[in-house]
Amino acid sequence: MSQTEKRAGLLRRTSSSKKPLKEKVVLMYEDIFAKEEPTKSNPRFWDELFLMKVNLEYLEGKLESLDGDEVLRVKDNINSLFQHCVQALAEEHQIKVVNALQTLCALFRGVHQKNRSATGFDIINMLMGFDKAELRMKELMESLDALLCGDGSQSLKSLCLKLLLCLVTVTDNISQNTILEYVMINSIFEAILQILSDVSSRAQHGYDAVVLLALLVNYRKYESVNPYIVKLSIVDDEPTLDGMGRVIHHALAEYNRQYKEKEEENQGGFFSTLTSMVGSMFIADADEKLSVQTNEAILLALYEAVHLNRNFITVLAQSHPEIDIATTPAVPVPASPLTPLGTTPPSLDMMNNPELPLDPNLQTSNLLITFLKYSSIVMQDTKDEHRLNSARLCLIILTCIAEDQYADAFLHDDNMNFRVNLHRMPMRHRKKAADKSNPSRPLVCAVLDLMVEFIVTHMMKEFPMDLYVRCVQIIHKLICYQKKCRVRMHYTWRELWSALINLLKFLLSNETILLSKHNIFQLALQVVNLFNMFITYGDTFLPTPSSYDELYYEIIRMHQVFDNLYCMVLRVSTNAGQWKEPASKVTHALVNVRAIINHFNPKIESYAAVNHISQLSEDQVLEVVRTNYDTLTLKLQDGLDQFERYSEQPREAGFFKELVRSISLNVRKNVSLSTMSQDVLLKEFSSIS
Amino acid sequence: MGDTELEISPAQLEELQKSPSASSTSTTSSLSLPSSPSSGPRPSSSPSTSEGLPTSSPPLDVISEGVGEPILVIDTEVAKKACQEVLQKVKFLKADGEVSSASSEPVLVNGTSHPESTNGRKPPKISEEEAEPLKNVRCRQKNNSSKQSLLLRLFESKLFDISMAISYLYNSKEPGVQAYIGNRLFSFRNEDVDFYLPQLLNMYIHMDEDVGDAIKPYVVHRCRQSISFSLQCAWLLGAYSSDMHISTQRHSRGTKLRKLILSDELKPSSQRIRREMPQPPPSCPPPLHHCQGMSGHSLSPSKRTHQRSKSDATLSISLSSNLKRTASNPKVEACQDEPVRLTPQREFIKSLMGIGKRLATLPTKEQKTQRLISELSLLNHKLPARVWLSTAAFDHHVVRVPHTQAVVLNSKDKAPYLIYVEVLECENFETSSVPVRIPETRIRSTRSVENLPDCGITPDQRASSFSTVPNYDNDDEAWSVDDIGELQVEFPEIHTNSCDNISQFSVDSITSQESKEPIFIAAGDIRRRLSEQLAHTPTTFKRDPEDPSAVALKEPWEEKVRRIREGSPYGHLPYWRLLSVIVKCGDDLRQELLAYQVLKQLQIIWEQERVPLWIKPYKILVISSDSGMIEPVVNAVSIHQVKKQSQLSLLDYFRQEHGDFNTEEFLTAQRNFVQSCAGYCLICYLLQVKDRHNGNILLDSEGHIIHIDFGFILSSSPRNLGFETSAFKLTSEFVDVMGGLDGDMFNYYKMLMLQGLIAARKHMEKVIQIVEIMHQGSQLPCFHGSSTIRNLKERFHMNLTEEQLQVLVEQMVDGSMRSITTKLYDGFQYLTNGIM
Repeated sequence: MSQTEKRAGLLRRTSSSKKPLKEKVVLMYEDIFAKEEPTKSNPRFWDELFLMKVNLEYLEGKLESLDGDEVLRVKDNINSLFQHCVQALAEEHQIKVVNALQTLCALFRGVHQKNRSATGFDIINMLMGFDKAELRMKELMESLDALLCGDGSQSLKSLCLKLLLCLVTVTDNISQNTILEYVMINSIFEAILQILSDVSSRAQHGYDAVVLLALLVNYRKYESVNPYIVKLSIVDDEPTLDGMGRVIHHALAEYNRQYKEKEEENQGGFFSTLTSMVGSMFIADADEKLSVQTNEAILLALYEAVHLNRNFITVLAQSHPEIDIATTPAVPVPASPLTPLGTTPPSLDMMNNPELPLDPNLQTSNLLITFLKYSSIVMQDTKDEHRLNSARLCLIILTCIAEDQYADAFLHDDNMNFRVNLHRMPMRHRKKAADKSNPSRPLVCAVLDLMVEFIVTHMMKEFPMDLYVRCVQIIHKLICYQKKCRVRMHYTWRELWSALINLLKFLLSNETILLSKHNIFQLALQVVNLFNMFITYGDTFLPTPSSYDELYYEIIRMHQVFDNLYCMVLRVSTNAGQWKEPASKVTHALVNVRAIINHFNPKIESYAAVNHISQLSEDQVLEVVRTNYDTLTLKLQDGLDQFERYSEQPREAGFFKELVRSISLNVRKNVSLSTMSQDVLLKEFSSIS
Repeated sequence: MGDTELEISPAQLEELQKSPSASSTSTTSSLSLPSSPSSGPRPSSSPSTSEGLPTSSPPLDVISEGVGEPILVIDTEVAKKACQEVLQKVKFLKADGEVSSASSEPVLVNGTSHPESTNGRKPPKISEEEAEPLKNVRCRQKNNSSKQSLLLRLFESKLFDISMAISYLYNSKEPGVQAYIGNRLFSFRNEDVDFYLPQLLNMYIHMDEDVGDAIKPYVVHRCRQSISFSLQCAWLLGAYSSDMHISTQRHSRGTKLRKLILSDELKPSSQRIRREMPQPPPSCPPPLHHCQGMSGHSLSPSKRTHQRSKSDATLSISLSSNLKRTASNPKVEACQDEPVRLTPQREFIKSLMGIGKRLATLPTKEQKTQRLISELSLLNHKLPARVWLSTAAFDHHVVRVPHTQAVVLNSKDKAPYLIYVEVLECENFETSSVPVRIPETRIRSTRSVENLPDCGITPDQRASSFSTVPNYDNDDEAWSVDDIGELQVEFPEIHTNSCDNISQFSVDSITSQESKEPIFIAAGDIRRRLSEQLAHTPTTFKRDPEDPSAVALKEPWEEKVRRIREGSPYGHLPYWRLLSVIVKCGDDLRQELLAYQVLKQLQIIWEQERVPLWIKPYKILVISSDSGMIEPVVNAVSIHQVKKQSQLSLLDYFRQEHGDFNTEEFLTAQRNFVQSCAGYCLICYLLQVKDRHNGNILLDSEGHIIHIDFGFILSSSPRNLGFETSAFKLTSEFVDVMGGLDGDMFNYYKMLMLQGLIAARKHMEKVIQIVEIMHQGSQLPCFHGSSTIRNLKERFHMNLTEEQLQVLVEQMVDGSMRSITTKLYDGFQYLTNGIM
C-alpha cells in the first residue's frame, strides 16, 4: 500500500502542468462512473477503494461533469459509493475512515455543484436513493456522532467537523439544503456540546464546532421547528456554556490583537501619521490597510447564544485572563488546517487553563469587554458591506444584552469595575489616545462610551440610519433599567447629551438628503424622548443634584438646535404628506424641552441685564437655573420608560438570511479538506495501528 | 481572697453540691448575682433532657463500655480511689475562685447530661487507648482508700465545669486524675468543650503521654461524630505542631492523630445504627423537607440533579469532566457522602487559600480585586456543595459566593480578602442533602416574586406563592424567544414597593397612563426629590481603588443582605442566610485565636459580674500556622477609614452619623463608645495589645469601638521600637467623644474600668489558664521570653486593695492620655503606612 501511496504522491506533484497520468484511485473512480457494478470485476473493490488516497479534484470534477442521462445510469453506483463510505466510517482502520470522510465530502460538493438548480430531493436521490436516504443519513450521523464523542484521534474529529461544515454550506442558502433535514432529525447537538465542554477538544475544534452550531441554528429558522434552536436555548450546563464563551472570546480577542498589531505597524510609518493628520475624510484609506477580516460567523454564534440562551448571559461576565497582551501568536482561526494537526497552539493552552494563570501582567477580562472592544473596532468603519453587517450585528447583540435583566445587573454592578480601552477613531478635532488612563468603572460606562463614540463618528452622507436607531435604543434601554432599579451611575452624562444634540443638529442640516431615504423623525423622536427621560425621571437615576442642573444648562446652551428642530417638525407636520404623523409626534415630545428653554432664557437675559454682564459664565447660568426651578411646570409624558422588546422576526429576518448566506460562502471557501496532508495523517495513524 | 480559702472542707463541698444557691452566701459579692443572662436559658433545658433518658446515670457511668469490650471498662471505684489519693497533693489555690464562680451557674447540672443524651444514642465507646492509664490506676488503687474523697466529690459535684476540668488536666501530675478527667470530658456539653479545644489539643501535642492518652479517646469520639470537629482538630493539630522541630514533628502524636483524622478513617461508628433507624434516612432528614420542596418546586429536579450531585461529590474534580452526554446516574447522590466525608470542605478551603496566594502576587489593589472577583466566579461553578463556614453559629450549606461583593482588604504585602457567602440553613450539614443548583440568571424569575407588595408574608405563604410561579424548566416555555419579565409587566410591582423613599412621582407615572388628562409636575419637585433622595441614603464612602473595602464595609449589613438577596438566585428560599468571612493567607492566626479566647472569657466574666463593659470577640478559624479565617465584624469601619473618608474629627463624625449632642441617638452612641472603650482599654492593658493605630480600631454603626488585629500581644510588640509604652490607647479625640475630661461620661469610663478590673481579677485563673496552656511548646512571639505568664498575672494586681486599684486606673488613664508615644506612634504609622 505504501508503494501506491508513494506513486500517487509523485504523480500528483507533476500533475499540475501535464495531463495527469491515471493513478489507481482514478481508475477505480472510473469504474464507479461506468455502468457496471464495480464489484463484478473486483469483489474487494470497496475495501481497496478506501485504502487509496482520495483524489478530491477528480471526484468532484467528475460528478460535476455528469449530464442528466449519465447521472441516471450511474446513480446506483453513486448510491453504493455513499453507502460504502458510511459503512467505512465504522471501520477500525483509521485510514479508511479518513478516506471515507473525504470521499463523502467530495460527494456532497460535487453533486451540489453539478445541480445548482436541482431540488434538494433530486440531490438526495442521486446520493443515497430516496428509499434508503433516511437510513443512510441516520447511519452517517450516528457514525459522526460516535467519532466526535469517542476517544479517537483528534484529526478524525477535525475531519468530521469539516465534513459537517462542508455539508452545511454546500448551498448558498442554508435553508434550501434539504439534506440538513436529516441532520435535524439525527441531532449532533450533544456532540458539539461535548466538544465545547471538554478543555482539550475545545482548544482544537471549538471554533469549528461553534461555527457549525451557529449555522445549524439558522437552518429554516423561521419556517419550522429547528431542534438546534430548541436545544441551544435550554442548555444550562455552565462548563459547556463557558466553553462556548471562551471559544468566542478567543476568536474576538484574536481579532482585536491582530488589529492592534496592524495599527501599531502603521503608526510607525510617515504615511500613516500624515493620513491621520489629513483628517477623517481619508481615514478610510488608511483603515483599509488596518482592516482585518471580520469574523461574522463567530459574531453570529455569539448572537445566537445571547439571544436564545438566557444562561449564556452569565458567561458574558465570566472573567478570563486577557489574551491581548500574550506574546504568543494565536492560531489564525479560520485556517486551522494549516497548523499541524494534533498539536495545540500555545496560546490556546492558556485559554483553556481552568485555573487562571499567575502572570501579574495579565489583566483579567471577560467576554463582554472583549466584545465591546471588538465592536469599537468594527464600528469605526461601516462603509464596507461586511463591516456594516458586523457593526449591525454587534448592535443587535448589545440590544439583547441591554434588555436582559441579569446582564443589566452586572453591567451596573458597582463592584465590577474594569478598564475598557475602546478603540476610538482618529479624528482631526480630538486628541488621540488621550484617555490612556481611563478609570476602572462599571461596564455600563463602557457601553455608553461606545454608543457615544458611534453617535459622534458616523454623521456622514451615507447615514447608517438603522445603526443610529439601534444605538439610541440601547441607551434608552439602559436608562430604563437605571430608572427602574434606581441605579445612579457616576457617568459623564454631559458627553452623551452633547452627542445627542449634535446628532439632532446633523439631522436638521441634512434634512433634505436624509429625508429621501430615511424617516429621520423616528430617530429625532427617540433622541428627544431620551432628553425627556432625563428631564422627568432624572431624580431616579442621576448621580447628583448638580447633574440635573447641568442637563438644563446643556439644553439652554444648545437651545437653537431645539428651536430649529421644532420649526422643522412643525412645518412638516402642518403639511400633508407621509411625514405628517411622525413629525407631529416630535412636536409633542418637544414640549418639555421648549418649556425649559422658554422658561429660563428670559430669566438668564434679565439676570444678564441686571448684572450688566454680556456673556454669562457657566456658573452664573447654573445659578439662574437653580433659583428658578420652582416656577417651571413640566408635562408628564406617557410611556417614556417603556420600550419595544427586540424580536428577530419579522424585522431582522431578512438581515439574518443574508448574513447567513455570506457566512456560508465564506466558510465554504475556507473549509478545505484537500489541504489536509495525508502525510500528517499517516504519521499519526502509523503510531496508532 | 485567694489566700483565705486554701481548702474546701468536705462539709463545704457537700453543701455546695446540695444547693448551689446556698453556697453563694458564703462567698463574696459576685455571687449575689445568681442569674446572669448567659446562664438563663440553660437550666431549663438540661435537666429535662437528662431526666427523660435511660442513660442519665451518675457521671462516672458515662464511661461504661460499649457491648463486647467489658475488660476495658474503667471501674468507677478505681477511678474514684485514684482521685481520692491525689486529693491531698493537689493545691486548691485556684479551686476556690472557680468553685465560687461556678456555683452561680446552674449549668452544672449537666454533670448528668452528657452530650449523647441529646442524640439519644448509647454512651460513647472508649477504645483501646484507655488500657494503659487503666493499669496505672489499678496499681494505685491499693494504697489510697483511706484518703478522703474530697477531690472526687468535687469532680462529681455539679460545680465541676469544663474550665476546672481543663485546669486539673493541665496541673495534675496524676495519671489517674488525668484519665478520670479525660473520661469526664464526655459529660460536658460539646459547645463547652469546643471552647477549650485549642487548649486540649495543645496539651495533647506538647504535654506528656498521660495527658495525651487521657484526651485522645474524647477527641477520637468527637471526630467520629462530626466532620466539622474532625477538620477543626486536624487544622489545630497541624497549626500547633508546627512549632516543633521538624524531625520530631513528623513522629509526634499530634501529627499522627492529624493523619488519622485526615485519612478519614474515623467514620461515625454509629453510621450503621443511623442507617438502620427508620426515622431519619441519612440523605434526607424530614425536617428539611420544606426546604427541599422549595427547590424542587423551583426547578425540575429530573433535569438538574445529576449534574449537581456529581459536582458535589467531587468538588475537587475539574469542571470539565462534569458534563457527560447521557444523563448520568442520578443515584450518585445516595452514596456520595461516605467516600468523601472531608474532601469537599478541605477542597473548598484549599481553593480559598489558593486565591489568597495568587492575589498576593499582584501589584495593585485594583488588579487584586478584579482577580478576586474572577476567581470567585469560577469557584461558584462548584457550588452548592457540602461545604460550610465554621465561623457560623448554625448548620448550613454554602450555595453561592456573590463574587462581585468580595473585597480585598488593606494590607501591605499580603492579600487578605473579605467574601460574602450565601448559605442555606439546614438541620445538619452532614446529613441534610445539598441544595440543588440554581443558575445565576434565574434571579429574574424570583425577583418579581420577592418584590410582591406585601413583604410580611410568612415563609409558608411565600413558599406556596413561589410554587405557583411558572416553572422555567418547562421546555416549551423556556426557550420561547421573547424573554421573560416584560418590562411593562413588572413595572407596577416594582414601583409599589421598591423602597420607602420612593418618589411619589413615579407612582404618578403609572396612573397617568390610565387617565387621559395631562399631568403637570414642577421641575423644582424633581430637583428637590433628587437632592432629598441622595441625602436620605445613609452616608456612604466614596469608592477608592486604593481602599476598596471601605465602601463595602460601610454599607449597613441589613442593606447589604437585602441587596445580595435580591440579586441571588437562591434569595427566595426561606432558609437563605448571608455570612461573611475574611480569608487570611500567609498570616498566623494562632495569636488571634488566643486573643479571641481571652476576650470571650472576659466577656463572660463581665457579663456574669454585671459590669456593662462591651467588647466584641470575633471568631477565628485557624487552618494552619499561616492561614485561617476570621469572622468579620459587621457594620464597622476602621477609624482610619472614617477619618480619611469623612475628613472630620471623630466627634464631628459621631454628630454626623448619630445627630447632635443631647439627641437620644447621640447619647446612646456615646454610651456605647464609652463602654466599649473601657472594655478594650482593659483588654489592651491586660493582654498588652500593641500596634494600636487607627487602622486596627473599628467603629461600628452604634458607636462601639472594636479592636482588631491581635498580632502583637503579651510579650511581643512591633519591631520592638519601644513605642506605645502607655497602658492603652486613649487619644484626645476619644476623650472628646466621651464629652471631655470633666464630663460625667469620662468618669463613668474610669468607673467601668475599675469595675471591670475588679471583676477580671476575681476570675483571673480562668483567664490565665487559657494563656498558660497555650504557652506549652509554643514559639509564638507573644510568648517570647520567660516571664510572659508572670507578667500577665501581675497585671491583675491581686495584691492591691480596691482603693489602690482605683488609683492605678487613674494613673493608667492619665498616663495614656499624656502619652506622647501614642501620638508618636500614630505619626509613625502615618509616615510609614499612610494610616491616619
